[in-house]
Amino acid sequence: MPARRDGGPRPLTTPVFQILLSLVDQELHGYAIIQDIARRTGGEIRLTASTLYAAVKRLLDTGWIDEPPRRPRTDRDDPRRRYYRLTALGRDAARAEALRLERLAGMARAKRLLAPLRASSTTRRQ
Amino acid sequence: MTRPPNRPPLAVRIYGALLGRLLPRKLREEFADEMTLVFADLQREAARAGGGRGVWAGFVALVRELPGLVRLTIRERRDSAATHAGIAHLDERSGIVLDSLMQDLRYAARSLRRSPGFTLVAVLTLALGVGANTAIFSVIDGVLLRPLPYLEPDRLIAVGEGTMGGSPTDMSSTSPGSFFDWRRQTNKVRLAGYSPTQGTVTGGGDPEHLSGLTAIGGLFEVLGVRPLLGRPLVESDETPAEEPVIVLGHPAWRRFYGEDSAAVGRLLTLNGTSRLIVGVMPPGFRFPDADAEFWIPARFDAGFRGNRDQYFIRTIGRLAPGATIDQARNELVAIGDGLRRDWPMYNSNLSINARPLRDTIVGDVRARLLVLMGAVAFVLLITCANLGNLLLARASVRRHEMAVRRALGAGRARVARQLLTESLVLAVAGGAAGLLAGKAFLSLLLAAQTTTNLPRAHAIALDHRVLLFTLGISLAAGIMFGMFPAWQLGRAHASEALRTGARTIAGRQWARNVLVVSQLALAMVLLSGAGLLLRSFALLQGVDPGFTGGRILTFDVALRESNFDFFPETLERIRAIPGVRSAATVSQFPITGRGVGAWFNRLDRPLPAGVTPPGEAYRVVTPEYFETIGLPLRRGRLLGTEDRRERPGVVINEALARKHYAGEEPVGREIYLGAPDNRLFERATIVGVVGDTRDAGLGSDPLPTVYIPLAVMPWWRFSSYVIRTAGPAVEVAAAARAVIREADPGLAIRNVRTLDDVLAESVAPARWSMTLLGVFAAVALVMATLGVFGVLSFVVTQRTRELGICIALGAAPGTVRRMVVGQGLRLIAAGVVLGLAGALALTRLMEGLLYGVPSTDPVTYAGVAAVLVGIAVVASYFPARRATRIDPMMALRSE
Repeated sequence: MPARRDGGPRPLTTPVFQILLSLVDQELHGYAIIQDIARRTGGEIRLTASTLYAAVKRLLDTGWIDEPPRRPRTDRDDPRRRYYRLTALGRDAARAEALRLERLAGMARAKRLLAPLRASSTTRRQ
Repeated sequence: MTRPPNRPPLAVRIYGALLGRLLPRKLREEFADEMTLVFADLQREAARAGGGRGVWAGFVALVRELPGLVRLTIRERRDSAATHAGIAHLDERSGIVLDSLMQDLRYAARSLRRSPGFTLVAVLTLALGVGANTAIFSVIDGVLLRPLPYLEPDRLIAVGEGTMGGSPTDMSSTSPGSFFDWRRQTNKVRLAGYSPTQGTVTGGGDPEHLSGLTAIGGLFEVLGVRPLLGRPLVESDETPAEEPVIVLGHPAWRRFYGEDSAAVGRLLTLNGTSRLIVGVMPPGFRFPDADAEFWIPARFDAGFRGNRDQYFIRTIGRLAPGATIDQARNELVAIGDGLRRDWPMYNSNLSINARPLRDTIVGDVRARLLVLMGAVAFVLLITCANLGNLLLARASVRRHEMAVRRALGAGRARVARQLLTESLVLAVAGGAAGLLAGKAFLSLLLAAQTTTNLPRAHAIALDHRVLLFTLGISLAAGIMFGMFPAWQLGRAHASEALRTGARTIAGRQWARNVLVVSQLALAMVLLSGAGLLLRSFALLQGVDPGFTGGRILTFDVALRESNFDFFPETLERIRAIPGVRSAATVSQFPITGRGVGAWFNRLDRPLPAGVTPPGEAYRVVTPEYFETIGLPLRRGRLLGTEDRRERPGVVINEALARKHYAGEEPVGREIYLGAPDNRLFERATIVGVVGDTRDAGLGSDPLPTVYIPLAVMPWWRFSSYVIRTAGPAVEVAAAARAVIREADPGLAIRNVRTLDDVLAESVAPARWSMTLLGVFAAVALVMATLGVFGVLSFVVTQRTRELGICIALGAAPGTVRRMVVGQGLRLIAAGVVLGLAGALALTRLMEGLLYGVPSTDPVTYAGVAAVLVGIAVVASYFPARRATRIDPMMALRSE
């Protein structure tokens, strides 16, 4: 892969990147992560329990996420659920991936594959 | 089906069990519980989105999990093996077995992916076979297998009147006098009765017409069902002095009260009587069928409890603890003997029959469904034979590969297991596809009115029982068709197959021949069954209903109280509608059933005392009925306005004349209908004889019938209008309904149909069986044809060298073609002969579905055999043609 000759970060898989995104601003348990991803992607990406935990296991192993020492208090708490939060390392990785994607989108824009970026279009996307 | 509330759904349990088996221990301990929890959440979400079809949603969610789970398992097992390499972390024997199983699975998946064409054909073929079985099994499970929704349903029996020497399955209604006699005298069974009734609910918006049931002698106690709200009916409600009460079905409760539980205790006006609502039944409760929406207690006065000439009570019973149905039957026979002695006038020919309640509910549908189940089982067998053949062909291509594996040290069992794993992977994939096919097929089936008209059709569902069945037959099919190649290849000597150019295929060829012959034989059986049904259906459609027919509109009206003027007046107004040629009423439209009956008595030839008169059907008509429907007059005259109650004249049909006036002139004789002290009319003269109609259905014999003028029976309340029109019948429907509504806005108009609708409905069950069996037979034919084609193509390929030599030595193309076709013909002949034998043995089971053809009908068999042979010969012609084009030089050089 020529993309990695510069030593840049490897692309993340879709589930991994989406999980990191979900945890950027909140601590969530497994099912809440799946729901958050489905909501953000308009139902386009729906993880299964198996794909979720395959990714969670790897993320825990690499230290990109961990378990908060104290559980966030929610109204419907189930003691069996574990919550996950983003580590500093994980935040860096997610940011690196986002930048990579932005660079790619920039290339597409330069070739006029995408419309040039305008202030109005970014606000509309919100 | 209720589940204990704390038990997780089936899919969640399966998922948990899979995690326990598949994941390495460490991962399992860390994540399995949490994963199960998340899966349960997902499954619940899916079930909610799917509108409560929990089992199905769970299955889909489970299938979605599988790819991820398999990937996770493989990755983690590999990782953990790498981590622990050298420490010999082999504490779990299951792990080793599982690893080699995973290896087999991976290998199977890879090998199937390598030949996508083969995989696709195999999966689609299986989907067809499994799908047909899944759909038909769903129907059978709902209609035949599921227990009835009452307490201990196996202890419930139906009891009814029959005649001495008649069929033991006759379940005719009985009279109050007999019913209470039976009840008093039985110890082995507790009896209760019921009688269908109709009612119009008024007082809240539009009047609504409902079907319901009169409960006699503690019906709910015998059924043993609990209401959703309030209480069921109890026997003390039947005392005339008690307040009138009613129990509502769930749909009626929802419609009238919006599921308000305060409905219990309110009053409801039914047929003008105000009744206290004492209970509401749960949604699943149906008795005797889905039509009944309310249940009211019978209120017989002392005199009517002794009545012996009004036969309207249907009887069920619950066997006493410890009693068997045979004991109950013996007791009832003894009671019958006593009644014949005590009341010879009413019971001279009586026998009392009993059979399991389920049998009477399912009735003659059982044969129809079992024939279909047999047919789909055959389709599955043919599918298996086809796949066996495909796999054998594949196996001969893979001889080399397998021989290499053997030579490298794989044991025979290991190779066979690998092959079987492949078949099972195919079977599971085919089963999953078959489930989807079955779901689609079932919804097609349920779109047909005939399916939903089956008794208990509401219980038909694709639920976990069906899923288990589908899984079971898929695996069984996989094992069945996987056996052949596994067995054959496992047997092959490693050294032999490694030799290049090994051409000895004889061993495999006979297996393929056996498969093709059995396919042809099975197809022959299915085609014969379908052919017989097709001929029955054609004959049934050609049956002369007995009247001219044409453009006729009909609908039913039930008056709430007797109103002599209603029918004549509305008829007069209907005749004024433009496009109406003539109009009349009849108590029951022909072809739709026997209708009512009464004892038939000749006044010129009274029966000796103590002999029960024969019961005959009667129909109450207005005088214009015969011309309107086109019923021909054979003797005497038709009814006229002069035939009134004071001086009644009646018309009989030819069947009645044949039965009671054989060799005599019936016109001018006098009769009465009913019991001597309870007559429909005092006496009437037969004024004419008309042709026969097939009132009980197109496939049944004409019934002896008496036609009584409506003017003679002024209290008559139920009639079908018969309207002959100039243009299309439906065009006057709106105007005719308006006439009825104008005359009485509170009347419900039911069953608006044209004569064509009635005729089509009458043959609908026959059409249903014929269509389904025809489709299955067509599938069988296609598969058998492909089988013949496949085998002969294979033979030609394998014998290229030999055929090439023949051609080189000067064999004419015709000779070569004949050689190949001849080989095909031998297979075809064997298949047809075997199939014929099978068909003769098996089609006897479907005699009850046939009309006008014996199950041994030679024309059908000859036709079917001709079709099968013709198509199979065409299928063998193409490989034969290819054989004649073999270039001898190429053939000889090819190896």
